[in-house]
Amino acid sequence: MKIAISIWNGVVSNVFDFADQLLVVDVEDKVEVGRSEFELGQQVIQQRSSLLTKLNVDVLICGGISQSLASMLVASNIEVIPFVTGPVDEVLNAYFSNHLAEPQFLQPGSQVGARKRFCRQRQRRCRHKHRGSRSRNEIT
Amino acid sequence: MVSLLTKVLSAEYVKLWEYPIDKIYKDMKSEEQNVILDSITEGVFTVDLEWRITSFNRAAEEITGILRQQAIGQQCKNILRANVCETACALRSTIETGTPIINKPVHIIDIAGRQKAISISTALLRDEEGKVIGGVETFRDVSLIEELRKEIDHNYTYEDIISRNHRMQNLFDIMPNIAESSATVLIVGESGTGKELFAKAIHNLGPRSNKPFIAVNSAALPDTLLESELFGYKAGAFTDARKDKPGRFALAEGGTIFLDEIGDITSALQARLLRVLQERTYEPLGSVSSVKADVRVIAATNKDLGKLVTEGNFRQDLYYRINVVKLELPPLRDKKEDIPLLTDHIISRFNLLHNKNIGGVTEEVLSILLMYDFPGNVRELENIIEHCFVLCQGEIIEACHLPSNLHAQPAIGYSAGSKTAALRETEKVLITQALQRNNGNRAATARDLGVHKSTLFRKIKSLGIKA
Repeated sequence: MKIAISIWNGVVSNVFDFADQLLVVDVEDKVEVGRSEFELGQQVIQQRSSLLTKLNVDVLICGGISQSLASMLVASNIEVIPFVTGPVDEVLNAYFSNHLAEPQFLQPGSQVGARKRFCRQRQRRCRHKHRGSRSRNEIT
Repeated sequence: MVSLLTKVLSAEYVKLWEYPIDKIYKDMKSEEQNVILDSITEGVFTVDLEWRITSFNRAAEEITGILRQQAIGQQCKNILRANVCETACALRSTIETGTPIINKPVHIIDIAGRQKAISISTALLRDEEGKVIGGVETFRDVSLIEELRKEIDHNYTYEDIISRNHRMQNLFDIMPNIAESSATVLIVGESGTGKELFAKAIHNLGPRSNKPFIAVNSAALPDTLLESELFGYKAGAFTDARKDKPGRFALAEGGTIFLDEIGDITSALQARLLRVLQERTYEPLGSVSSVKADVRVIAATNKDLGKLVTEGNFRQDLYYRINVVKLELPPLRDKKEDIPLLTDHIISRFNLLHNKNIGGVTEEVLSILLMYDFPGNVRELENIIEHCFVLCQGEIIEACHLPSNLHAQPAIGYSAGSKTAALRETEKVLITQALQRNNGNRAATARDLGVHKSTLFRKIKSLGIKA
């Protein structure tokens, strides 16, 4: 499983669309087995979506994200967990222990419900295409 | 107090930084400050020296979608969410250098995930002793202006091309490399597939982006006019040619010229164009000397140029000159998985342009759209959504809002009580169409749909598709 996090100075970047760096963490049984960083620079949303698909990322943890980019990622079977804030390692640990919903990891103005709704809304629009094929492991 | 209020309220927002805002703080109670700030149509927030928000007005709430009580005390980058926050923060620059920034264009993502264009201005905040205690940022939403400008200039960008289709994803991958090179590009695709958008994207992503992008529709002008339009003319070249007129190639100097409908030009013009591509020089009408052309050429057509060559209607040597890098844009009927995404994107854009708040389309409408073949491609989908916007008074586009030609279109197995069945039918149609496109080749179909072969096989079996 691969988890991508958009980063800036050791914390989750405020908006994935504009983030400069991407951290990709390889995970086996909730244990990190490797990590690599990618320069995003001035990439536009199509390139960002394409990069994540090419890297076989399963989950993206990010701060804010535009509807268009989130739609493209969700449609490519990538789970998007938006509105996350905090130091990268703490965020990763919280993800493994299912604590990302705690207030210190929520961007101001967002709530866990809003996070779920945001992704559900994007998912609903594409689910006619993906019902029954949610396992990212199948799409290699 | 009244005069002070009047003075502030009548001030142009761009001038706000010039007003001694610290003086306002000093002279008035905080509630009065809030009344003033809330009455301004531009967003205003202040930060301390640790970038924590200390005040946040009503317009700022509206633009960012974040409430004042949620914003106060937070790092401003997590509230504004602008493209400059982490790399070129305007407030940081002002606080470090003391120089205010006026009307800097930036983009933000609001709490609902909408990208907005805003214009920001910054200034220092000082205490009574003149010591810097923070900064103030004012901003206004210029998304509507930007969208209208796009609409008028037809200036849509690469970011307006959204797709999850694997063929489009492949194009997105190679676009930066194509843009970096100076090779001539041929874009092939049906009308309405976004050929000009791709041409602009190649220009904007490449080293010529700060030079002109000139588009010419070769089919829109008669041959004689097209020649003078492309290459320009000298005074006296023909009656009424009183002074020199630069052609499109001259206007595009250093940049890119986009020759749309290249398959429609006559053989005489094909010969002249060939010379430009071979020798990078051309002669304006009536000129005795050649002009050098440092112009990148991107050509586009909705015709099969190879077939035109075989039929003798298009020069083979020109075909090879323009067919250096070929981009084939799939028609919308071959990437129906994009219809929900595109519908969403177009609705967001029209909400802004039409000042409406339409949330989406019903599942029935989506089913009807998925069944339709879209001979006019994305442009036709845009027109359909625009038609719905005119008729829809509520917040969801329903089947009755669709144009009449789509009313006759059957929705795939749709009935209000059987959404699951409708989704299964949609899947069935999409997979069947993809199989037909790929001549029954399941591996190619799986690649086309962006799913694993085993997933496709399982679907074919469970949906009872005869392949």
